[in-house]
Amino acid sequence: MLEAIKNRFFSWVDSRAPKQPSTLLKQKNIYILPTRYGWLMLGILILILVASTNYQNNMGFMAGFVLLAVGLLSVFYTFRNLKGIEVRCQKPASVFATENATLPVQLINNTKSERAGVGVGFAKRRVLYTDVGEQSKNQVELSLKTHRRGMMDIPRVTCASIFPFGIFEAWSWVRTPYQVLVYPKPIPCPEPLVATSSGIEEGQTQEKGSEDFHNLRDYQAGDPIKQVMWKAYARERGLYSKEFEDYVGEHQTLSWESVAHYEKELAISYLTDAVLTAEGSQSVYGLELPQQSLDKGQGPEHLHSCLKALALM
Amino acid sequence: MNVKALPITRQGLIPLLIMIQAVVLFPLWFYIPFWISAVTIALLLAKYGMYRQGVKASRWVLLVVVLLCVGGVFWQFKTLNGRDAGIGLITLMYAFKLLEARSYRDASLILFISFFIVVTAFFYSEAIWMGGYLLISVLCILLGLVALNSPKGVQGIGSLGKISGVTLLQAIPIMILLFFFFPRSSAPLWSMPTENQAGSGIDDTMSPGSIGALHTFDDIAFRVDFEGKVPPRSEMYWRGLVLSEFDGFTWFKEQHTPIRQELELPMTPTYQYRIQMEPNNRNWIFGLEDLAEAPDGAYLFSDFTWNRRRQTTQRFIYSAQAYDIDFSQRPLTEFQMNRYLQLPTDSNDDSREWAEEQRQNHQSDEAFIRWILSYIHQGEFYYTLSPPVIEVDSVDGFWFDTQQGYCEHYAGAFVYIMRSAGIPARVVTGYQGAEYNPYGDYYIVRQSDAHAWTEVWLDDEGWRRIDPTAAIHPSRVEEDLRSDASSRDGWMEEFGSDVGFDAPEGLLQNLALRWDAVQNFWSETVMGYSQDMQFNWLRKLGIERHQYRYLGYGLLATIILAGLIFGYLVLRGTQRLEPVTKHYLLLLKKLQQQGVACDRGMGPRDVLQLTRDTSQKLYSRAAPALKTYITMRYQQEKLSPEAVKQFKQQVSRV
Repeated sequence: MLEAIKNRFFSWVDSRAPKQPSTLLKQKNIYILPTRYGWLMLGILILILVASTNYQNNMGFMAGFVLLAVGLLSVFYTFRNLKGIEVRCQKPASVFATENATLPVQLINNTKSERAGVGVGFAKRRVLYTDVGEQSKNQVELSLKTHRRGMMDIPRVTCASIFPFGIFEAWSWVRTPYQVLVYPKPIPCPEPLVATSSGIEEGQTQEKGSEDFHNLRDYQAGDPIKQVMWKAYARERGLYSKEFEDYVGEHQTLSWESVAHYEKELAISYLTDAVLTAEGSQSVYGLELPQQSLDKGQGPEHLHSCLKALALM
Repeated sequence: MNVKALPITRQGLIPLLIMIQAVVLFPLWFYIPFWISAVTIALLLAKYGMYRQGVKASRWVLLVVVLLCVGGVFWQFKTLNGRDAGIGLITLMYAFKLLEARSYRDASLILFISFFIVVTAFFYSEAIWMGGYLLISVLCILLGLVALNSPKGVQGIGSLGKISGVTLLQAIPIMILLFFFFPRSSAPLWSMPTENQAGSGIDDTMSPGSIGALHTFDDIAFRVDFEGKVPPRSEMYWRGLVLSEFDGFTWFKEQHTPIRQELELPMTPTYQYRIQMEPNNRNWIFGLEDLAEAPDGAYLFSDFTWNRRRQTTQRFIYSAQAYDIDFSQRPLTEFQMNRYLQLPTDSNDDSREWAEEQRQNHQSDEAFIRWILSYIHQGEFYYTLSPPVIEVDSVDGFWFDTQQGYCEHYAGAFVYIMRSAGIPARVVTGYQGAEYNPYGDYYIVRQSDAHAWTEVWLDDEGWRRIDPTAAIHPSRVEEDLRSDASSRDGWMEEFGSDVGFDAPEGLLQNLALRWDAVQNFWSETVMGYSQDMQFNWLRKLGIERHQYRYLGYGLLATIILAGLIFGYLVLRGTQRLEPVTKHYLLLLKKLQQQGVACDRGMGPRDVLQLTRDTSQKLYSRAAPALKTYITMRYQQEKLSPEAVKQFKQQVSRV
């Protein structure tokens, strides 16, 4: 019952907060309620008014009504503190499962008033506070715990403020269109992964080809020392690098079959670790998965596509 | 990036909380028991020391001290209940809370409870300066809340503190309206336990020295507004109590009963007046002689005094009518006759014999009274505040030996002599005279005006007031008392005429009177604002029934109106976009109208790209404005008005 009400409420909230990279906080998407100290203040106010009535103490009434008026005004001040702020969520970088993903959130204040104590977080109770000066912006990095590989939805981002008096809390739920790609958690495999025979053969031929140098070019910083044409340098003709037709290093194809006898998630973790090891040792590697196979390659982009394939398997 | 939570450990927050507590507790220190004040001050200092040294209070030590203090409160008040014990306890707990404050929660609790502590001081004083102090305290608490709730903490007060002052200023008009409309009740919600407070003022016993002791008190007993005619000051006898039981040394109040039915005595109304009485923590209230119909909330008693059912612990305002009552129609009953002739037989024998003897020499009671007064006038009787002490037989000692005394000596001795001579008589205590305040057109009666006089019963006339002190020869009146004595009842005109001293009228006194007029407005109109006054102005508006309903409408209207006005004032600021953004939004709107599917969420570079993809012609027109916007957005220094103007022109060309 309660769950149903909650769901209905949040579907109503979501209908007012479309998934967009940038949200302007305005009347439509700002909510406001007393904080627990606001309720405490209401209690104190009632106590003061009852005592003043009983003791016929007009001074007490004055104090009570000042308090009531401050409470009333603080609704507007707290609401104003959020109104007009633009919340822009950046695309979060991919992380490995169980690591924390970071969601950068920019708060942009294009209005003429300073906004103090604007909190951003995934829950009202856990927000990071920051000040946003007039016509300036400020960035907050939210960290989000990941559990499983795959595309992870980013929960509603709460933008909250209790400034100036902590009597009321105004907040807004902002939804971002982005998702976090969570790579599988790498776990080293207890037994060496055997590369498939075809892979080894292919690797051998490739390795042969790389022995023949293709042409010469001017040395560029970062070229491996092995490729420098020392003979030419010795003859004082300058530094040249030999350019090989193919990659240097070990060649391997990591295949699903080699880990298929493990439990699926564990197998994926083993492969992930193998991919990372291969990338770390600058080898050329390919990946063969039941539904997908990736050609051999190297470099961050290749690594990303391999990890993505594993994450979404 | 400046991301912080809101911990209490931020620099300067603890000293700020200590300061706020000191401000809030300050007025209470004058009223609560000394040791509680001392403990709270010590706790504040201890907290500051601990803050400087960076140490935390041990929970065990704290617990022991808290228990000791609770014990102390119990020992002081013999209870933990009731107003004074409650306030003592809450102030102590309030100070202890800060000592162990560790989190945002603790600080928040302290600040919100401060509002209540501010109010507790008003149980002790409703003086005008407390009103000012209320605003100062609330301002301090609001500043504390701002510091607590903004990441910059105390450092932020400089730039953000303004909001507290602005809020308070905006709160004042709302407060005034709510104060005006909030329905007051005519009776307390629950009966309050009577506090054993020593009230200053006239007591229900009179012994030598008891009224003289009041002479040094300049405290105001009550203020009087006359409607229409004002009696001369010499006629202002403010009747309080009748004392008719005598034990040889002290006079006591008689057992009196309320007069329930209408008085059937011929009465002529004389003066109409309104009294605003300061609390005296007693049941009796005062009225201009002769008293008849009791004001609301009081009863007329058989000795023609007024009593309230409960003690006057708050300022009490009542209207009354003075009368001339002709008592001659109703002779004294035998019971009354005995009561007003009653004398202890074991003391003051000399006076009794002397009085009996002297009565023989006179034809009538009246002639005897006249002779006694002239005896006082011509004899060596002195009017002084510092008479020699009389140990026993107060009448004999005064009348034959010392012949020096204050009004209670004269009144007591006079009644004793009358009774000895067979004339029914009684002592009346109250106040005599008043100071006129021309700035507020009212009279002030002070404790120093406390007085005792007498009433004697004359068969053909009834009760007649006689003030024996008025008979003392002016040359034998102590300097300080001359102005008092000069304004007394001159039943014997020949005595009163040759004294005429007026209090010096100086600048200081003028200022004092003006100040008292302001205070009178404060206490009568503001602090005395009551259900009566509410119903009065409602009646003037033609509302005779359902007053609470109309007051409720007033409250509701105030809150709605305040919400509309201040909502508009406060939120107006956020709608004013700075010009560059405003023009950029205008530009986006124009582009959308011309078929570019851009929205606010897109960066300006994306919009530029999208425009190029949509229409080359539009791109050529919009590009300068977009490019200017991009450079302006990412440049750090402040934009010149010219640049803004140029951007505006570029936008208008799209």
